[in-house]
Amino acid sequence: MTINFTLNGETRTADCPPETPLVKLLRDDFAMTATKEACSVGRCGACLVLIDGQAANACLTMAFRLEGADVVTTEGLDSDPLAMTIRRAMAAENAFQCGYCAPGFIIALAALLKANATPDEDDIRRGLEGNICRCTGYHSIIRGALAAARDVQEILK
Amino acid sequence: MEVVSPISLQEALALQTADSRYCAGGTALQLDWAKGLAKPGRLIDLARVPGLNGVKEEGDRLSIGPLTPLAELLRTRDLARQSPLLQEALGKVAGPSIRNMATIGGNIAGRSGCLLPALLALATKIEWLNLDGSSTMLLEDWLSAPPSHGILTRIDVGLQNAREQWTFRKIGLRAAFTPSVINVAGRLSLGMEGDVLAAQMAVGGGIVTPVRLQHAEELVIGRPDAAIDWKAVHACLMESIDVPADAFRSSNYRKKVAANALVHGLGGTVPGRTTFPVQLPPEPMSPPDGEVRLSRTDRPEAWHERPDVAAKAAGKLAYLTDTRQPDMLVGRILRAGVPHARIVSIDTTAAEALPGVIAVVTHADIKGSNAFGIVVQDQPALCFDKVRHCGDPVAAVAAIDAETAERALSLIRVGYEPLATVTDPELALAPDAPRVHEAGNLQRELHFSRGDPEAGFRQAAHVVEATYLTPRQMHGFMETEGGYAFVDHEGMLHMLAGGQHGARDRMQLSRILNLPEEKIRVVTSPTGGAFGGKDELSVQPALALLALKSGRPIRLQLSRAESVLAGQKRNPMSIRMRTAIDSEGRLLAHEVDVLAEAGAYASLGPGVLETALEHAAGPYVIDHVRTHGRLAYTNNGICGAFRGFGANQMTYAIECQMDRLAALCSISASEIRRINLRKPGMVGYLGQTVAPTERSEEMLSAATNSPLWSLPNGPQPDGEWIIGTGMALNYQGNGLGSVVPDPAGGRLSLAKTGMIEGGFGLDELGQGLLPLVKAAVAAELGCARDDVEAVIGDTATTPDSGSTTASRGSYVVWASTRLAAPEFTKKMLGAASRLLERDPTTLALAPGGIIERGTNSGDILISYRQLAARLDDAELPGVTVAYEFPKNDYTAGNSRMIFAFGAALARIAVSRVTGEVRVLDLHQHTAAGPVMDLAAYLGQIEGGAVQGLGFTLSENAPMLDGRYITANLDTYMLPGIQDAPRTMQSFALESLAAGDIYGPRGVGELGIGAITPAIANAVFAAIGITPTVTPFPPETILAALEEVS
Repeated sequence: MTINFTLNGETRTADCPPETPLVKLLRDDFAMTATKEACSVGRCGACLVLIDGQAANACLTMAFRLEGADVVTTEGLDSDPLAMTIRRAMAAENAFQCGYCAPGFIIALAALLKANATPDEDDIRRGLEGNICRCTGYHSIIRGALAAARDVQEILK
Repeated sequence: MEVVSPISLQEALALQTADSRYCAGGTALQLDWAKGLAKPGRLIDLARVPGLNGVKEEGDRLSIGPLTPLAELLRTRDLARQSPLLQEALGKVAGPSIRNMATIGGNIAGRSGCLLPALLALATKIEWLNLDGSSTMLLEDWLSAPPSHGILTRIDVGLQNAREQWTFRKIGLRAAFTPSVINVAGRLSLGMEGDVLAAQMAVGGGIVTPVRLQHAEELVIGRPDAAIDWKAVHACLMESIDVPADAFRSSNYRKKVAANALVHGLGGTVPGRTTFPVQLPPEPMSPPDGEVRLSRTDRPEAWHERPDVAAKAAGKLAYLTDTRQPDMLVGRILRAGVPHARIVSIDTTAAEALPGVIAVVTHADIKGSNAFGIVVQDQPALCFDKVRHCGDPVAAVAAIDAETAERALSLIRVGYEPLATVTDPELALAPDAPRVHEAGNLQRELHFSRGDPEAGFRQAAHVVEATYLTPRQMHGFMETEGGYAFVDHEGMLHMLAGGQHGARDRMQLSRILNLPEEKIRVVTSPTGGAFGGKDELSVQPALALLALKSGRPIRLQLSRAESVLAGQKRNPMSIRMRTAIDSEGRLLAHEVDVLAEAGAYASLGPGVLETALEHAAGPYVIDHVRTHGRLAYTNNGICGAFRGFGANQMTYAIECQMDRLAALCSISASEIRRINLRKPGMVGYLGQTVAPTERSEEMLSAATNSPLWSLPNGPQPDGEWIIGTGMALNYQGNGLGSVVPDPAGGRLSLAKTGMIEGGFGLDELGQGLLPLVKAAVAAELGCARDDVEAVIGDTATTPDSGSTTASRGSYVVWASTRLAAPEFTKKMLGAASRLLERDPTTLALAPGGIIERGTNSGDILISYRQLAARLDDAELPGVTVAYEFPKNDYTAGNSRMIFAFGAALARIAVSRVTGEVRVLDLHQHTAAGPVMDLAAYLGQIEGGAVQGLGFTLSENAPMLDGRYITANLDTYMLPGIQDAPRTMQSFALESLAAGDIYGPRGVGELGIGAITPAIANAVFAAIGITPTVTPFPPETILAALEEVS
């Protein structure tokens, strides 16, 4: 099956079985490995990408669903001011340890802050329920997310 | 599988076949297929059918298009007014990103969705289209009819009114983002007089058949709200809810929590105990001097951003499993799939003939010793005579892509002759048990005793005896085992795979491959988490054999499912402990019997058992002790090193004993510890020499003075939660111990770039080795952190520093730096003095470069970069040191000399509705010498805590007949963000005793050690029972909350 979609602003074509998960297309076919894969069944959030502006698990998104879609991966966020603000705040707070979950968390946070620029800790916890981190115990991520929200609010002022 | 995307309902219906499946959001499919459900011949994608999306309020109903994503529905502006129950239920389905894809129609059509009880309670009607036409019916009628082909075209949900009571609750296996154990929804519509006009109650979710509970509804209808006989309602619910069991929760538990949740949620009182222990704060002790809170806010000057964290956040850090090259092959490993069998034949001809397959390897390709293992070489690289667990590797394939490699695996024919299996460690030790290994199933047996335990027990005023069970916890590193390998033009094998000790991986590979170590380079960093689970070899043997045979670069990474199947777990333990005190609470005698499970191979299991027994008495003085430990082989997967390494399991047992003993002699948890604590200057528990710093008393006083004791506790006004606070002490040895070789080393050198390199054969697993190297080198040399670069995890560029395990890395970096610094400084100053033509004694290393000693100007005479640029490569200063990690001369058993100390306090809440335990507040006190890097230290303490919380409350990988019941992260419950305590605080006491020359202790394991008993003791404080099984079964806790007859 041939699928045409937009990937980080560029038109891409994939020729693959229709049920091929997007995470496989990204990591193996396009060698774009900023998107991580850690469970392949939608239960860890390591492979989050933005599809038409919304966070989506790339392991659950099958190729046939991509026709005409606008996909933005971690690689595509380098020019996104919101994502860059979040990354800086998370890094400054040493929010991550091994870092394998980090790209997924950043995408989840970007989606959260885009919908709600003034989240409190409860909002942050709810927004990150779908992401697993094994290293940190989550509190550094919460501290980083709160700092990121403050920084984002500064920019919006 | 064919995918079709009709653009009208008629077309969608026409495409239907006997082997087709409609697809809405499609979020359940990957998991279904992973579980072995066959893919349909045709998948009919409904996403492009118009008119199936959107929400409209129509009269007293909410009309919802079935393809409306849950997130969109949740964002509906008036949903909080229209149906707060539905809003609540929607927020409990999966996680936010999945709700962007999953639809309400899919949730219903799958017949197991979390929303079903909510929709049943909301008197939902659906419109159903099939080849006979369209019909409207009640959801409950549709659910009770047998499943048939058709399309859901409309969902009508009744609006809620302001005068109603409602409840929705999802009971799961963890706090959020969990499979459903059972979901309940209930509504009571009240008249003006407060009488119940209408009632709806329903259950569903997961394996629970979604149904209305009409008998219970009838009991409340027509009654005044205040006069409902909730006891009768509860009894009726228990009678009428019919639910199955699975491996995780019993039928009775599901029934009970559903009845509890409905009664509690609709305003009734949950039956059961109403009186609970009254908890008083412990008597104050003097708090330790100099303890600091670990936080960026409190100590901004000590907070440094990790060198790698920005790249990690940006997705730019390349893990060893991220490498992709055009000519790179993909490797896959064939697993046994049976727990115990003799291999009769292996036929790879069909696999080798498959186009795209470049190499197939079996045991016949192994030129060296087909056996590895850190302690005992009992594990074959590829099985040859028999397989001992389902995940045992039998063959491996290199192919041009993953699909070809997987197809090739399916073409390898292995003939097995099944052998009797043994999957219970106790049964494994019976004389007639099937033998996992020829020499028998008792892998290790250890005894230790001193004094006269019988005499001790005879004098006892109180004795507590209990058996504590600990889980087969999975490491759950986010990056699964994997990496890549290639052979260069000089015949050197490059093995780049996440690990914890490159030099030892190289040695083990050298034995297997019969290749000199000089011909193997092993790179082990960066690694996406390890926690002990990457200490032993995993993918490396197969990867190496394939790289050598194919002659091409090859990558191989385990899928999560394969990692669960084949990866190591924590050794499950059964710890029987019997402890005696006198009437004042002094410990008299202590007897411990441990049965640990090795699984199919030993790996570090013997070391784990030793370490557990080394911690048998906790930080207490007990004159009469007898311990006994056995490690048994079984056909259950493989086990090995895991953070804590046996110490946390044993600490759980002894620290629970202490609280129970305290209660028996009516003294506080603090007091019983105080009067039994070890004192500075004493020999170690085994009689071994220990480092002079002993901080248990300070940890106890810090814990005793914790503000957590003053927070509210006991039964809460909401009728559900009972709060308790508990504490536990722990200590953790550093290093491998006295009877095993434990070489350490490191290098300081000036690179041509001008960076001062700290070279260590240690690994960055996420714990913060990189900032530690920068901190230690800068502190010792007097240069800046930015002048230092850590060079790690590569046998080609770093000396052997030993393993990145056993909390030893911090010491190794610090001690190596201290050892190398004087000579390195001398060489640096010597080189600078020649260039500057100044007396070296007038020079000093400083941030950025070399300055004149003793001046305050700070003027840099020559920068490190200039110095390096002006020196020939051979002149660049460098010092490499090698030494043995500090150990004592105790040889009767393995023992440690250097320890770090800790205390944990947990304030927890127990649910009377579900028996679940939630950790509200968690404080950790630590004494591990100087904090080298604040952020890394804090990260280890916090991260260890939540890993310990998982061990305590949700994590286990149970097995049945030698097979894992849990295959992936859908049922293996790593703690999620909502499981993390509401508040966490960590503290450090940095001082060392006078004369202590051992510097900073590692804290990689300290943070996990006291968590489980602190939580267990908090449960004991709240409800008066100590959970002796981890993870705590909510069913046991619920049973303890029942009325005492």
